[in-house]
Amino acid sequence: MLDRRMTQFNILRGAVAIFFALLVAAIFIFLTSESPWESLRYLLIGPLVTVKEGAIAFNMRNMLEVLAGMTPTIFTGLAVCVMFSANQFNLAGEGCVYVGAFVGGLIGVYWNLPPFIHPLVATLVAGLVCSVIMLIPALAKVKLGASEMVTSLMLNFVMLYVSMHFLNFYFADRSRGATMTHSFHDTARVVQIVPGTSKLSWGFIAALIFSVIIWFFMYRTRWGYSIRMIGINESFALYSGMNVAGMIVVSQMIGGMLSGMGGSFEILGRYNQFLWLNLPGYGWTGVTIAILAKNNPAAVPLAAFFLAYLNKGCMLMSTKTHVASEMIDIIQAAIFLFFAAEQFLSGYRQKLVVKTAREELLKQGNAGIENGGAENA
Amino acid sequence: MADTPVVQMLGISKIYPNGIPANQDVNFSVNKGEIHALVGENGAGKSTLMKILFGFEKPTSGIILMDGEEVTFASPMAAIAKGIGMVHQHFMLVPSLTVAENVVLGMAPKKSGMFIDFKEAVRLTEEYAERFHFDVEPNARVADISVGMKQKVEILKALVRGAKVLILDEPTAVLTTQETEELFRQLHELKNQGFTIIFISHKLNEIKELTDRVTIMRRGKAAGTYDTDSISEQEISRLMVGRDVVLELEKTPAEPGEVVLHVENLQFVNEWNKRMLNGISFDVRKGEIVGIAGVEGNGQRELVDILFGLISPEEGSVHVNGVNISDKSQRDLRNMGVSYVPEDRMTFGIAGTASINENIVSDRIASPAFNKGPLLNMKAIRETSQHLIEDYAVLCKSGRQHVNMLSGGNIQKVVVAREFSADPLLIIADQPTRGIDVGATELIRNKLVDLSREGAAVLLVSADLNEVMELSDSLIVLYGGNIVGYFDDGQWDDVMMGEYMLGLKKQSDEEVKRACHA
Repeated sequence: MLDRRMTQFNILRGAVAIFFALLVAAIFIFLTSESPWESLRYLLIGPLVTVKEGAIAFNMRNMLEVLAGMTPTIFTGLAVCVMFSANQFNLAGEGCVYVGAFVGGLIGVYWNLPPFIHPLVATLVAGLVCSVIMLIPALAKVKLGASEMVTSLMLNFVMLYVSMHFLNFYFADRSRGATMTHSFHDTARVVQIVPGTSKLSWGFIAALIFSVIIWFFMYRTRWGYSIRMIGINESFALYSGMNVAGMIVVSQMIGGMLSGMGGSFEILGRYNQFLWLNLPGYGWTGVTIAILAKNNPAAVPLAAFFLAYLNKGCMLMSTKTHVASEMIDIIQAAIFLFFAAEQFLSGYRQKLVVKTAREELLKQGNAGIENGGAENA
Repeated sequence: MADTPVVQMLGISKIYPNGIPANQDVNFSVNKGEIHALVGENGAGKSTLMKILFGFEKPTSGIILMDGEEVTFASPMAAIAKGIGMVHQHFMLVPSLTVAENVVLGMAPKKSGMFIDFKEAVRLTEEYAERFHFDVEPNARVADISVGMKQKVEILKALVRGAKVLILDEPTAVLTTQETEELFRQLHELKNQGFTIIFISHKLNEIKELTDRVTIMRRGKAAGTYDTDSISEQEISRLMVGRDVVLELEKTPAEPGEVVLHVENLQFVNEWNKRMLNGISFDVRKGEIVGIAGVEGNGQRELVDILFGLISPEEGSVHVNGVNISDKSQRDLRNMGVSYVPEDRMTFGIAGTASINENIVSDRIASPAFNKGPLLNMKAIRETSQHLIEDYAVLCKSGRQHVNMLSGGNIQKVVVAREFSADPLLIIADQPTRGIDVGATELIRNKLVDLSREGAAVLLVSADLNEVMELSDSLIVLYGGNIVGYFDDGQWDDVMMGEYMLGLKKQSDEEVKRACHA
């Protein structure tokens, strides 16, 4: 009974968290916008529909852009799910997206492969490189006991600046005014699903496929099982004879691989050359997504959609009604805060727990009397 | 001054966020100037009750009265301010600081409003030490002093903070006999000076010796308060356990086969430099149950941890089927056919927020029977789990229910079902029936006997004397890290066991050596 009540509670808590986050956003909008109602409209339904002279029409282009925006964050969200499930608070997904995009991009520029094969090879290699990089925090954790959170966080900047160094000194296209690589081969592009300007590529489909694969990995294979048990109770996993250290390393390598692939699909699907000069932020969004999805890979696309939708809504709001685009950060932060706060609505949760326990005690108590269990006064 | 309650806890209930009711409508009252024992098995709710009194936990319902006035403690600070002090079983001291610095920690006397007045701290410590005849050295570093001394520092800490009511949580668990005697003398001294002491323990002889009254807790409820003089140890134990029925069990005589577990000269010194194992040697053979009896804290914990590879012995060796296990992982041990029912089932036995199905196959998840290529064979797992749930009568809604939603007895059934169904060569059962209901206890004991008769070697460690006496084919008594008795004739009774367990009697080395059959 408690299980069912807890599921209902978790859904309720999610809904209330989102509601409060939007409420916080609304307060800021009313404080800063000259036309708050219009701003709010763009934020909430802007990505979905256009309102023209009173007529409401479905806005295909905006929706495709929302979907396109989900590609890298589904990958980073999945990466964080796997790592957090093993209780590994590895935050290097951010740097891995960057390195993945860089490596994938370079392969797109310098290797000659047939179309379709080319982006796949580039993405796989990018994933492998990043999974190897993740050995640094993973082995430091397992062998030396170094906190993976600290090492991975620092590692992000190592990855960024080492990549930038190679970009500046070896791979930059000198004929351009800005720092970027040469253009990718046409064979390296991830093909668009809908030709046009939406930039929704087959990378999106790959992301959905990987959500399914990672769900199966986590819930239907012995390795995913071990990862989850380690996350729930490491002592228990060790006692049960699981290879705890090995799986801690594997979980972080998978996290690196997924993040790297996300970066590669993003760069080969939406850009013509590698030109990122800063961390793109998809890794951080991945953390928010994993928290929203409660580490369940199946819920990642949904959470990614929610954030991509909000992102688009904020962009529309800021371009059409002059509300600062930083609003997205405020909303994200608020959601993050409400979700991450274990104590949020905990009073109500405790009431549910107490109620259930009392009901069960009552049942047991009656059973006890039947068994002749006399109590001492 | 007797009979005026200084602390009253009325109708206290506590339900933890995981749904476990730790206290149910408990009434508990302590008179001024008495030493009041609080006894109960592990998990009976005595720690929770004291945590509530000390402001660590908020009660779900119920009120606390001090000197007749209602109080609420939002934090330990509030409880301390009202004159309640607690000495934890695991000391809360900073090892790198001196005794005096620890005593004044958080309330240090200041010089010119800014700097800590170390001289004053030493003076204060000396003053209190003198007043209560505590023989402590204020300038010694806590890291360098003995366990008994650390405990005195803890008590001083509470006294300096103005404690009138002292809660001592199993204070003798870590002490030597002499240290225990000294502690008791000091507690009497404190009592004579008008302090009130709540003494948590499950050592009945200590309770008889030290305390004025005793409150017994059982399964989250108070099972009564008695004058210590008016109640026998047997009665206390009966109220604690809530069953005086000695479960009768069918047992055919053992037919021991070859040696499976061979333990030789194990030595272990713990982190507080206390020698916990002092050259233990014994064998366990196929088809027999060897019981280890002894008062808790006489080396059982360390022995079991060594046997399952959780800690390494200083000296000595353990062989399973002739293979030295010193460099074996838990995974290797399981592959060698070792099953282990851990004492602390919540830490080692289960993953609480995983389902029963997931918990019941945790040791064999990689076996071919549960895997189809890269994927798990969910059907096989479900069927195995369902089969075990029925076989071990686990009370649950379905195998998909989270394990931490079950009662203690049913959680233990899940653990035991897994361990016993692994086709074990050797079973190490550490307190397999502690704190669980009679039905589950009976089932687990019967299964244990069945397995041994089918050829498993069983090592049973239990603080429940009835249990070891009934189940074992031969019995080892541990006292102070030594084997003080070995019995293989089935001719034992609780009086005789008690004498060995309390160190009053000891067999000769020759007699003890019989524990090694080789």
